[in-house]
Amino acid sequence: MGKKKEGDKSPRNFENNRFNRSESYGDDEPNFSDEENFEDTITDEELLAEFLIHRPREEDSYEGIIVVDGAPQVGPERLEKLKGVIKKMYGKFGTIINEFYPTDEKNVTKGFIFLEYKNPSDAVDAVNATNNYKLDKQHTFLVNHYSDFEKYSNIPDEWTVPEPQEYKDQGNLHYYLLDPDAYDQYCLICSGGSTVQIWQNAAPEPTVVEERPNWTETYVRWSPLGTYMATFHARGVALWGGPKFKQIMRFSHTGVQLIDFSPCERYLVTYSPDGPSDQRRVIIWDVRTGAEKRSFSLDGVSLWPVFRWSPDDKFFARIGQDVLSVYETPSFGLLDKRSIKIPGIRDFAWSPTDNILVYWVAEDKDVPARVCLLEIPSRQEVRANNLFNVADCKIHWQKSGDYLCVKVDRYSKVKKEKNDAKYSVSFCGMYYNFEIFHMREKLIPVDSVEIKEPIHAFAWEPVGSKFAIIHGDQHSINVSFYGVKQGQPPSLLKKFEKRQCNHLFWSPTGQFIVLAGLRSMHGSLEFIDTNEFVVMNAGEHYTASDVEWDPTGRYVVTGVSSWKQKVDNGFWLWSFQGKKLKKHNIDGFCQLMWRPRPPSLLSAKQQKEIKKNLKKYTPQFESKDRMRSTRASKELIEKRCQLMKTFEEYRQKNIQAWNEAKTRRLELRNNVDTDELESDTKNVEEEEIEFLVKEEHTVIEE
Amino acid sequence: MKPLMLHGHERAITQIKYNREGDLLFSSAKDHSPNVWYSLNGERLGTFNGHSGAVWTLDIDWQTRFFMSGAADFTLRIWDCSTGTQLGNIVTRSSVRTCAFSYSGNMAVFTTDKAMGHPCEIFVVDTRNIDSSFSDNDPIMRIPISDSKVTSILWGALDETILTGHEDGTVKIWDLQSGKELAKAREHTNSVNDMQMNKDQSMFITASKDNTARLFDANNLMALKVYKTERPVNSAAISPILDHVVLGGGQEAMDVTTTSTRIGKFDSRFFHLVFEEEFGRVKGHFGPINSVAFHPDGKSYSSGGEDGYVRVHTFDQSYYEFNFDY
Repeated sequence: MGKKKEGDKSPRNFENNRFNRSESYGDDEPNFSDEENFEDTITDEELLAEFLIHRPREEDSYEGIIVVDGAPQVGPERLEKLKGVIKKMYGKFGTIINEFYPTDEKNVTKGFIFLEYKNPSDAVDAVNATNNYKLDKQHTFLVNHYSDFEKYSNIPDEWTVPEPQEYKDQGNLHYYLLDPDAYDQYCLICSGGSTVQIWQNAAPEPTVVEERPNWTETYVRWSPLGTYMATFHARGVALWGGPKFKQIMRFSHTGVQLIDFSPCERYLVTYSPDGPSDQRRVIIWDVRTGAEKRSFSLDGVSLWPVFRWSPDDKFFARIGQDVLSVYETPSFGLLDKRSIKIPGIRDFAWSPTDNILVYWVAEDKDVPARVCLLEIPSRQEVRANNLFNVADCKIHWQKSGDYLCVKVDRYSKVKKEKNDAKYSVSFCGMYYNFEIFHMREKLIPVDSVEIKEPIHAFAWEPVGSKFAIIHGDQHSINVSFYGVKQGQPPSLLKKFEKRQCNHLFWSPTGQFIVLAGLRSMHGSLEFIDTNEFVVMNAGEHYTASDVEWDPTGRYVVTGVSSWKQKVDNGFWLWSFQGKKLKKHNIDGFCQLMWRPRPPSLLSAKQQKEIKKNLKKYTPQFESKDRMRSTRASKELIEKRCQLMKTFEEYRQKNIQAWNEAKTRRLELRNNVDTDELESDTKNVEEEEIEFLVKEEHTVIEE
Repeated sequence: MKPLMLHGHERAITQIKYNREGDLLFSSAKDHSPNVWYSLNGERLGTFNGHSGAVWTLDIDWQTRFFMSGAADFTLRIWDCSTGTQLGNIVTRSSVRTCAFSYSGNMAVFTTDKAMGHPCEIFVVDTRNIDSSFSDNDPIMRIPISDSKVTSILWGALDETILTGHEDGTVKIWDLQSGKELAKAREHTNSVNDMQMNKDQSMFITASKDNTARLFDANNLMALKVYKTERPVNSAAISPILDHVVLGGGQEAMDVTTTSTRIGKFDSRFFHLVFEEEFGRVKGHFGPINSVAFHPDGKSYSSGGEDGYVRVHTFDQSYYEFNFDY
């Protein structure tokens, strides 16, 4: 404050400076006055910013004033009545300190009124509440702030074409796909969640691409094709991408907690449980323009994602009470302007490749449960299946959309006994059906596989026609593999008995699968080739909580997240054959997420061609691998060599000093040489020590 | 080879040490009687009875004449090694945390805990004549420590300095003539639980609760190497014959929620001295390891654990055959 005062005064005191100075010669008081040609370069804004905020402004006085247009035009005889109506209506928002009813030469009001509130915030309330208020049939109030006059008068009369925004080059967002060895990137959340790192996987050592502390406030998400990375902040979501991970887009949504990308990355859905009002809980954004497309006020989102997208981003749907609401893009309106009425709908899912969705309806008294396939937008039911004794259904689409499996939990026969005109119902255990829909065949035939044991996991081979099930009691857990063929019911291919596992992780390219016993099962892992059903390798990552395949299906990562347990955090990298490649033990490791890859640009025929000629390509990759591994071991040996050399140089000095200090050592220990164990031979005493060699028990007497 | 399991203590082992020749192994525990064993066959030679509190620390002079022990009963006692009779007893004002005989055996240093208004202190005493007057003699030197307490101690080369490891992770070097601090190093971030010299006393290894062990130069406290683990390290020793170090530790018993030995990692870990690479583990204890020691001939090592056992391991032939490529 002292400095402020001085600066404030200085211009005024300038004239007196000379006088002050001459006087100050007399005593020893320090002179605070400015130099003669001192120029005050500090502006009021710098010094008094906090006060200037409160400086009265011109528009302040207008802020309480509102203009009510569209009011009835009345003569002087009815003016009092109008005033009464207006006062009653507008008085409830706050104290009106001024009112003005302009009149023409005949003393008839002009149909607009000025009102001034004591409190500007009351004026805001009044405008919000009464704008477009219908007083009667002829009169609708149009209420505005007086301060808006300027704003509206500045609107040009003629519409001009808006300037096109300059094109902003974001660089190549897909640069990471250009890696010659097709190594994938992954995102790491570590330091207990405060640091986000992007790594480029590579052999033998991965490299850091980007590291930022506090990049996100909660967690991060890759977009489904891997183009963007989304981070979460109190004010909204940010998208990052490109070689330097620049910010590409921001979506402002206070308190955002959950997000969901549409499959083609065109749209982003954000959800925030708390907000200024109940509206805008869920917002759908256009990813590329950042524009808000539509918002919904949904209370109590129990299932995320609320909106599920069709594979081509054309439709999205939401389940409601007995309805399924399908919306279309880009209009973001309801398809055909109405929801589909489906009484008792419980769950639905889109096919990953076609605009077909499957939903199921719960059993209701004598009406059986139904599983239906619905084509959108035609709303045509392409297949339906009735089921009895259904407790629950789970929908599993195969990733290529070739098959659909609905896992049906059923209770065995319900026994109905008539006791005192009351029904007592007893359930006799559960059994499970897997209803397999052959999507690519005519009329979509359905097969069923029945399993009587509890089911722990189910997973489709992402590419191919196999599925795996973990089933059995706690003490004898089995894994069964089934194959589906055209025109045939699924057949059991292989059953692995008594396994330690509770999760299934298929390679994204099919064929290989990891059976994992996570958490309570100590992290046991089995790597299986499902072509011949051989266990290629078994391993263990103790207390592992996560398993993640890289998008090319060459590597598997197992991790122990500090979100789940606080010790031994880190992740291990395995080859798809189950060879442990690298252990990364990182304190505070939270999560590893591989950057997704878009689908291959090669056609199915081209891919088949490559698979057929694999022999041609393997030597070239093998030689590359060999070179890399020899280079790596050479580097390691060189590093060790260097370490040993420096250490030995250091040791030489110490050994020399040790030798020089020999006389002093002898002095300290009465001239007994103790440098080596055997050097002091004079004072040795022999001592005999017995060893227990064998123990024999002989019974002497019965 | 199957290790020898020495079961002579009822409670957690606090420290183990070999004598200079390595024929005897001494152990102290939270029970009140330190033990001495034949290191070769694990036969117990005797006990030192007299303490009335947990024995935190022990040492033997180079001639194996005197055995020294410091305990939570506020005493430092010196015993005749061959008979087990108590020769001297110094009563302190708080627990004796560390102790060590000098190279010559003419002096000993010990430290006391900061407790009940008394500061942590370093005492240097004369141990040439140990008789009834020992307890009344004034110490040669007394250094009060105002900040973090001493948790481990060593004599520097040629009895000229003292090295201390502290609860806050610092390592300090003291001049014996002036009693002044000569240098300090703050490499560890948590308590230095143990310090042990290499054979020629030019380097020492520290074991810290911050999950690492470090190698320092004994003259200037230069940090040379670091050995990283995922668990607190309670003790570390340097092999007298090979470029190996052994680390013992494990999850602290009080932190273990599921008392599985797997999650606790109560293994002895072997690292290469120079490359800092781990190359072997020895399992066995079912609680954290509190003290490790190499036999002076480098052909066996022992570990003492929270489980009350001392395990004497003799190395197999394969141990000597293993080599790092460089």
